[in-house]
Amino acid sequence: MIRKALLMIFMLSVATTFHLTMPLSVSAKEVTISYSDWQLAQDIWGRSLREAIAEFERLNPGIKVESEPVALAQRDVKFTTAIRAGAGPDVFALDANPVKQYIKEGWVKDLTPFIEKEGGKQWLSDFYPFCLMPVTEDGKVYGIPKNVVAMVIVYNSQLFREAGIKSTPKNWKEFRDVCKKLTKATKPGGPVDQWGVAFVLAKACFDLRFSVVLRGFGGDFLTPDWKHSALNTPEAKEAFNYVVDLILKDKVMPPGVTQVDCNEARRLLAFKKTTMKIGTMWSITEVSGFNPDLHGWEVLEMFPVPQKEGVKSKIRSTLYQKSIFMNPNTKHPEAAWKLMKFLTDKKQMEKWFVDNNMLSCRKSVNDTYGPILQSKYASVVKKEIENAAFLPLIPQWPECLETFRQNLQAAIAKQKTADQALKDAHNQIEAILARK
Amino acid sequence: MFIRKYSFWTFIYFALIVMGIFNLIPFFWMVTSSFKTEGEVFSYPATLFPQNPTLHAYSKIWFQEKFIKYFMNSLIVSVCTAAFSSFFGAFAAYGFSRFRFKGKTLLMTVFLSSQMIPGVLLVGPYFKMLSYVDLYNTLLGLILSQTTITLPFSIWMLKGYVDTVPIEIDQAAMVDGASRTRTFLMVVLPGILPGLVATIIFAFLLSWGDLLWALCLISARSKQTLTLGITQLVGEFRTEWSTIMAATVIATMIPAVLYLLLQNFLIKGFTEAAIKG
Amino acid sequence: MRIHDRYKCYFFILPAFLLLVSILGFPAIAAVLQSFNLVWVSKPSFTLSSYGRLLYDIEFLTSLLNTFIFVFTTVSFHLLIGLGAALLLNMEIKRRHFFRVIAILPWTVPDVIGGLIWKFIFDTLPGFVNAVLIRGGFLVEPIDWLGRPHLAFSCFIFAEIWRGYPFAMLILLAGLQAIPRQQYEAGAIDGASPLQNFLYITLPNLKYMFIIAMILDTIWECRLFGMVYSMTGGGPGYASQVLSLLTYKHYFQFFNTSYAASIAVVLAMVMLIISIPYLRMTMRREI
Repeated sequence: MIRKALLMIFMLSVATTFHLTMPLSVSAKEVTISYSDWQLAQDIWGRSLREAIAEFERLNPGIKVESEPVALAQRDVKFTTAIRAGAGPDVFALDANPVKQYIKEGWVKDLTPFIEKEGGKQWLSDFYPFCLMPVTEDGKVYGIPKNVVAMVIVYNSQLFREAGIKSTPKNWKEFRDVCKKLTKATKPGGPVDQWGVAFVLAKACFDLRFSVVLRGFGGDFLTPDWKHSALNTPEAKEAFNYVVDLILKDKVMPPGVTQVDCNEARRLLAFKKTTMKIGTMWSITEVSGFNPDLHGWEVLEMFPVPQKEGVKSKIRSTLYQKSIFMNPNTKHPEAAWKLMKFLTDKKQMEKWFVDNNMLSCRKSVNDTYGPILQSKYASVVKKEIENAAFLPLIPQWPECLETFRQNLQAAIAKQKTADQALKDAHNQIEAILARK
Repeated sequence: MFIRKYSFWTFIYFALIVMGIFNLIPFFWMVTSSFKTEGEVFSYPATLFPQNPTLHAYSKIWFQEKFIKYFMNSLIVSVCTAAFSSFFGAFAAYGFSRFRFKGKTLLMTVFLSSQMIPGVLLVGPYFKMLSYVDLYNTLLGLILSQTTITLPFSIWMLKGYVDTVPIEIDQAAMVDGASRTRTFLMVVLPGILPGLVATIIFAFLLSWGDLLWALCLISARSKQTLTLGITQLVGEFRTEWSTIMAATVIATMIPAVLYLLLQNFLIKGFTEAAIKG
Repeated sequence: MRIHDRYKCYFFILPAFLLLVSILGFPAIAAVLQSFNLVWVSKPSFTLSSYGRLLYDIEFLTSLLNTFIFVFTTVSFHLLIGLGAALLLNMEIKRRHFFRVIAILPWTVPDVIGGLIWKFIFDTLPGFVNAVLIRGGFLVEPIDWLGRPHLAFSCFIFAEIWRGYPFAMLILLAGLQAIPRQQYEAGAIDGASPLQNFLYITLPNLKYMFIIAMILDTIWECRLFGMVYSMTGGGPGYASQVLSLLTYKHYFQFFNTSYAASIAVVLAMVMLIISIPYLRMTMRREI
């Protein structure tokens, strides 16, 4: 009896698994490629991408595209494991951070032959030259740039007005004063439940946000040649201490700020717990989406990153870029190239702005498209792009960044003094850079 | 053990209730959060009960997120993993327990030490192997990988239980003319049923909660597991807390139900069958 | 009979053996080779430099210490609470099955999601703990549970104790159920008290399952990083970082494959050295 039951369970499980692994029949003529993007997993962004893909399939009968969403935090784990083993999505998207590592390890395909066929330099000329920087190595182009934005400060103009603040801060001293003025208890006699600002200090999205403070003081993480740490400069020291003081002395950030990641920062702004955040074009869409009562599109405004008086450097903000790449293991490079071209062409970029409020890497789109020219947000961010630069585009960058962030957190948690934390970060980053 | 003392039993029930509360507090938080609106989930200070309860999160899961598919996938993978792991594990445990042979200790230690390497390093090479045999992106590949992870633990657990069954019982059965296999299945296995249930649940839960392997070995959305699906709700721009909570509530109910079923039907059923047989 | 027996044992063990060797053998060896920078890297060359780096890396040494503290504390509490729960649930109580199901509930939560939930519970502003304390009037300012290094580490240990103790409980409960009734009946005849029953009948019978639970739980807690990854991310700084998380970071975020592999090998060695005396104890129980 028992034996029979056990045998049955065993056979059943074996049968089920074989049934499940039966491959679906594919028509011989059709080519199927896969496209993987973390924005496929989002509500609005995903829908926009799926519409674009459906349009591509309509224009290219014979090519079918499988969309594979992946969570942002899991993206590199999934991609690198698959590509290392000879598989992976045919076309995928990355932000600027890990690209140099992917290029170094040979996880992205060299696109120069394809670009030559399209017209080489002529075809690339519509993209901003700096957009090609993250995706180019040794003169070879490995990816097509898609969207680029610069970080600015997003603020709640209604709360500013109610507090009697007439103009947006131009330097960090004014920034601090504004923060202090806006940190208060909204209910008289109650606890403080509104804070000036919340910086992102958790791992997710830390890099883009914190860097603007460093740069706004005239400092930076690494020297311009990306070979050494620049954290021992007086500017870096001032910026670092400024942030630590904002949190510990002035207390203008909500408690628990060391765990605030970008989603949390958006939520705090959406529910009026903070009045400002470091953000960009997508902040408007997302923050408004969190809380319809905020009326974000009316109330949220932007101003450029404050700059310390007397700082000569032009760079005060950071660039974010999303680009599209091809898998070196792909079995259908021609179809993949078609998809990549389609997603980054003028029409799709315009649609992307309408759907998701994001600027393009194409000069022609940013400079001539009607809705972009009319958007109050686009004008601020577009202008700020001239004052922004990428974070170091080297393979060791993720590790350097994490080292810095850990030391910053240690300083805020009072495990080390701010100066000691900065010094440790400097030494550790020097060690990392010296290794390779 | 029949103890009459009133105070003793009061203490026992009190301890049980304390344990229950300790276990259930996060679940309380999960369940109440799953019924809150996104805005209320993040009020400060947090509300203990939903002010405007809504079924929005649950309906989202049901209609929008394809969670039913994920749920079925997880169920299939976990049940198969539990079945394979306990099945092969039980056989191996019997072999290790009852027989003496050279290299037994070494073999068992090697089995166990294979688990001491973190999964992070094993995923890559394993993926490569799977793609050679074309099992990438299949549930079977996932089942095999999770079976091999749970197998050494299952063997060690089951061996411990098989050791508690005195060998005289084996010998008595064999004297009566039963083969080794029959002895194992009919005599020893029923004797370790609670241990077998523990092992099955253990393998099931390991597979149910696994993230790394499901993430790397499956690329098609339709074949994703429930745990993977839940973690994907933490997006670049939005973290849907109430949906995550709702999905987790559902995800944790299944193993609990399974445990209940195993307790009630497997043990009771076999005990009755053993008595009859 | 004897000759049949010798071959029979291989029949029993073979399927499991084949499965493990074929599926886990290659990856395990590849993992070790990676630490010597021999496979899976863009420029293979045998080197021990990864191991050398470990000695100077403060983050590694801190994580090593944290791992020791974490595993020792967590496993001890797992066994203690697990034993207590197992004893409770073995008794002839009403609704025994109901309580047993409640008992394994913490373990049914996948570790990554468990981390998210506990992070939410300990969250400074919208968190459950602070909500209870503030609404109950014990606190005015919220406590930054996960922002203070020692507090964050302790919260993480607490969360993992909560999540993992049913594992020990399950093993020990099954072990308790295997103790033959005759022993207790003999004890009753001799007039033994419940405490004496516990000390002289229950504990000795449970000894081997206890050791097995301890070894398995230790290995399991060393491997897991899902809980700490979601809950604190190793922070603040690296106050709550454990070796498994460090391996993950180096492998998938910094792409230092050989360094990550060397950390993992060190971890495995430590586990092996600690568990070998206990393994031998269970094997010595020859039949």
